[in-house]
Amino acid sequence: MFSPLIRSVRRWARPAHLGWAVAALLMLASTSVQAIPAYARQTGSACADCHAGSYGPQLTPYGMRFKLNGYTDTDGKGFKVPVSGQLKETYTNPATGKSSTDLSEGDLYLAGRLTDQVGGFVKIEADRTGHDTYNTRLSNVDLRFVAKELKLGGKDLTLGVSVNNSPGFQDPIAALPNASFISPVGVTGTFLSLAAPNAPTDRVIGTTVYALYDKNWYGEAGTYRSLPTSTQDHFGYNIASDPGKLHDTGYFRFAYMKDMKTQFFSAGVVALTTDRSLPRSGPSDKLTDLGYDLTYQYLGNREHILQLSYVNILEQRHYGADLFGPGGVVAPDRGDVRDQTLTATYTFHQTYSLAVSHMLSTGTRDSVRYPPFGDPDATSNMITLFWAPFGKDDSYTTIANLKLAATWYRITRFNGRETNIFGAPPGAQPTRAGDLNAFSLSASVAF
Amino acid sequence: MLSPFPQAWRSEAHRGRWLHGIALGALMVGWLAASPAARAGDATAGADVFKSECAECHTVKEGRNKKGPSLFGIVGRQSGSIADYSYSDALKQANWVWTADKLHWYLSQPAKQANPGTKMKYDGLTDAKQLDDLLSYLSSVH
Repeated sequence: MFSPLIRSVRRWARPAHLGWAVAALLMLASTSVQAIPAYARQTGSACADCHAGSYGPQLTPYGMRFKLNGYTDTDGKGFKVPVSGQLKETYTNPATGKSSTDLSEGDLYLAGRLTDQVGGFVKIEADRTGHDTYNTRLSNVDLRFVAKELKLGGKDLTLGVSVNNSPGFQDPIAALPNASFISPVGVTGTFLSLAAPNAPTDRVIGTTVYALYDKNWYGEAGTYRSLPTSTQDHFGYNIASDPGKLHDTGYFRFAYMKDMKTQFFSAGVVALTTDRSLPRSGPSDKLTDLGYDLTYQYLGNREHILQLSYVNILEQRHYGADLFGPGGVVAPDRGDVRDQTLTATYTFHQTYSLAVSHMLSTGTRDSVRYPPFGDPDATSNMITLFWAPFGKDDSYTTIANLKLAATWYRITRFNGRETNIFGAPPGAQPTRAGDLNAFSLSASVAF
Repeated sequence: MLSPFPQAWRSEAHRGRWLHGIALGALMVGWLAASPAARAGDATAGADVFKSECAECHTVKEGRNKKGPSLFGIVGRQSGSIADYSYSDALKQANWVWTADKLHWYLSQPAKQANPGTKMKYDGLTDAKQLDDLLSYLSSVH
């Protein structure tokens, strides 16, 4: 007889993994925040001023400043309705399983300024879950109060407070997983990853205080707590993926960023520490995430834009419960998990983009927690080619946009293996890592 | 002995005219160096400078304001004169004409130093060639 914890662990041994992994990959594409036309109407700017590819999510330094200023910048022409929408039709072709073409997503954005010091971003997302059925959920939230144009020691200072529901989503550099929407897929992952099982993304609420000093130095500190499961349910989330009960959670961020107009670079560190009880009535695990990120942008005259980012996050875990596997094997009481992502994006004329991501999820060997091989390592790639014809100063329209995208999801290693990744016994159909691959075509309109 | 000049130029009369020509040329060069036209750079290169330095907040489209006002026809324009743009009080009171000289002065330093109280956030363009190129481009937009 297994404890609930062991049953929870054993669930991962089932081939249900296959569907979950594909769903996680598709989620990476579907959850991405796009250029918000309401912001363009508010500022008079074009989508391309804030997003290299005119449709997002990759931010230009100007887009970072807009975010840091609490989404409050304006052209000064009075109140603009802070509402936008997005519709997305997607053709999905997984390597195994049936292809489908659906209106996959409809979004409502409440995004913009309320006053010169208060602004925000709220995304309400409806995702297709079956035949003509949609699940509506409260997606990303980032509400801000900001004090701008302060001086400290003769240097510029911006101070702000963010109330948000995903650690890292609020980051201005937008390289961290919850802001870039790029995260390794695997059987485990760091707490800062949005693709990890039981990730906190959109299921927590937190407050952080941030400062930008002398335009280059960024610091942020805050705390989070998980939403009650009943609230998660009301907000459209399956409580089976509850991130658990969180105690003593701290989020810390420090970065140096340099905008040289034609180039930009940043170097940052991030830390998140929490005591997590999962299930909520169980003992707590001590999780400590320590990461760093490096980014570079060549912007030039905006004809050819190259953006590079590398994120490396190590999570140290100290498990609170003794865990026993089959045959009485005792699981280690400590373990590490590491997420790494390298992304390169080339954008031509702020219209055509090619983004390539290489993602690694690795961890300490643990035969009890990571059956059947005790190896959680996974390697994946995401390649996206897209065309966004509008949203530039010389476009037909600067405040609405269209995006046609082709995306390949490729998994080359899962559960530490390339073949028979779920350890099928002799005679059973083995699953290759490549069986988790998928291809999608999508058309999105934002207005 | 070889000379770059024709034989006739070596006569006293011609030497006098030649020296007079050099002096006139020098005066012309000096005048040009002191005038906005002398700073006129490469307008094509200036378009690139505009894209990297100015385009986030300004366009050169007539009637289209972003965070900053349209720069269509900016050279020669009265400051604070676009009717549907909300200028800062500081710029409304500046009451100057955006000549090439004025723009050169304004853009070569932090905006808040040139016009205290302005809402323009710009640290200034210190590269002289880029500034000349930019002014040449802005002069061409009208």
